[in-house]
Amino acid sequence: MTNVIEARGIEKVFHNGDEETRVLKGIDLTLGQGELAAMVGASGSGKSTLLSIIGLLLRPTAGTLSISGERVDDLSERMRARFRNQRLGFVFQFHHLLPDFTAMENVAFPAAAPGGGISRAMRTRARDLLARVGLEDRIDFPAARLSGGQKQRVAIARALMNRPDLIIADEPTGNLDRESADRVLDLMREVNREEGATFLICTHDDGVAARCGRRLTLSDGRLTSNVRDPGGFS
Amino acid sequence: MFAFKVARRYLLSNPSQTLLLIAGVALGVTVFIFITALIAGLAVRLTDQVTGNSAHVSLQPATRVARVLAGPDLPVESVALVSTFQRQQIRDWPMVIDLLRANPEVSAISPQISGSAFLVRSEAVAPVAVLGVEPQGIDAISRITPNIIEGDGDLGANGLLIGVRMAEELGLGAGQSVLLRTERGVERQLTVRGVFRTGLQSLDERVAFLSLQTARPLFDLPEGVTNIEVKLKDPQDARATARFLGEATGLRATPWQEKNVGLEDALKAQGQTGTMIQIFSLISIIIGVASALVLSAYRRRSEVGIMRAFGVPGGFILWVFLLQGLLIGLVGALIGCASGYGLCIWLESITRPDGTSILPIAPRQGGYAAALVLTTLGAVIASILPARSASKIDPLEAIQQ
Repeated sequence: MTNVIEARGIEKVFHNGDEETRVLKGIDLTLGQGELAAMVGASGSGKSTLLSIIGLLLRPTAGTLSISGERVDDLSERMRARFRNQRLGFVFQFHHLLPDFTAMENVAFPAAAPGGGISRAMRTRARDLLARVGLEDRIDFPAARLSGGQKQRVAIARALMNRPDLIIADEPTGNLDRESADRVLDLMREVNREEGATFLICTHDDGVAARCGRRLTLSDGRLTSNVRDPGGFS
Repeated sequence: MFAFKVARRYLLSNPSQTLLLIAGVALGVTVFIFITALIAGLAVRLTDQVTGNSAHVSLQPATRVARVLAGPDLPVESVALVSTFQRQQIRDWPMVIDLLRANPEVSAISPQISGSAFLVRSEAVAPVAVLGVEPQGIDAISRITPNIIEGDGDLGANGLLIGVRMAEELGLGAGQSVLLRTERGVERQLTVRGVFRTGLQSLDERVAFLSLQTARPLFDLPEGVTNIEVKLKDPQDARATARFLGEATGLRATPWQEKNVGLEDALKAQGQTGTMIQIFSLISIIIGVASALVLSAYRRRSEVGIMRAFGVPGGFILWVFLLQGLLIGLVGALIGCASGYGLCIWLESITRPDGTSILPIAPRQGGYAAALVLTTLGAVIASILPARSASKIDPLEAIQQ
């Protein structure tokens, strides 16, 4: 299996005046193509920092990071932005949709903004993705008028728009009720299974972690546990 | 262009704020146009008042100056003296007139013999500036015959036209005779053919018109004229035309501006005041647009952050905010131009009983193109700062907020 993530000795130190905080203390991590992995840990364990580094939103203080075989830790800001756009997808706890745009426009946005507009092909892909997440009747709905669960499903469709190598999800169900959370997780599992998309999900929710194919546990900046098929679902 | 679509959508998402912003820009542009039209109208009215009854360019003989004489038989100190007795004149004036007629800028020409004299009627004596003119060209420079209130404008052989104030001072009326005594003591009995009222004190009180033929013996000028007065189609061209005519004729050509330095200074000061008001209008527009877009960029931090997280280039976000500034500036400027023009037309329509506007406003000189370009440019400049700050938003910080 091809490795999508290959992290070696990732460290992150934050400076606040003279004060130095070591958040990540040498993380080694690999994630294969088509895996659905959950990253768990107590608050302050460093999981969000690691997720940001893997999502190329933050630079590591030390260590190397490759995504789909390409070294990315030393890329320029412009190249990191391009890499994020073309190779990564994001789903956040707060959906962060553009409220003045329709569901379809939100989904197409990552492809349309660098390309100069929504092409016919982009429109078709966005419609297909919205149908895929069960929102075919909400394609031209303004994002602001969708429910919380619907918005998160639009966010998942948006993350899939550019056919990314890796989808990074930070507490994707953290802001949803149980039923909506289950539907969102089911959707991610379905996309993972049927389209082979690779997911790295950061969560506090043991129930979510139990339904992923792999469970990574962070504690005090270190990867303390790496269990495959924790709930026997994959 | 997708950035344009996003910018337009952002503006339309909060219509009341956008409308207020555009209204503010439009108001600033209206003030800009009103001030520009008022200053232009005031300049035109003042210039008209000054140039309406006087020449735009005066041609006179070149000033005679004493010059050092050089030659092997002459001592070094020899100079040619200037005769102050001999009256300066333009001898070949018909040739000059032909040259002036060929100039497309020239609208009227009046060869004149001018000099100082006294009008004497029994014990009453009044100083007078005598203007000997061609009888058919009496109105070439000043509107005299349409303003005759007594008698007529026919100068005839010994006729004289005087202003109403002088007529009152000497107790004269049309048909009465009066003695004219020149500065050189030449005297002649003349008949008042008409009395005029121009409303200009300098003309009504101190100027007397007679024909060139009558003036010649009085001022000892059997052939030449003392000056040629010229009116131009556009008084503002007087400097350039005077320079050209001076070089072409070898005469001393004086534009009206040099005779009215005070007016020119006043017009300049007025223009500078107008420019200051225009600059402040533009600054207020720029501040208004900039503050609104700074707020907008702040309010949309998380949206911009998610765009940045998805790798949308900073240049795209820069364009979104620059285009918002452009749209606000352009729409506001267009509305402001229309309302400014409407305001100027309305103000121009408020007239005095004699038909002249109360406000000397020139609606067609409102500087519309300048207002449109400067406002749009100003609004774009105003959006640079918020656009740059938005394009540099750290996606992680914005998302975590």
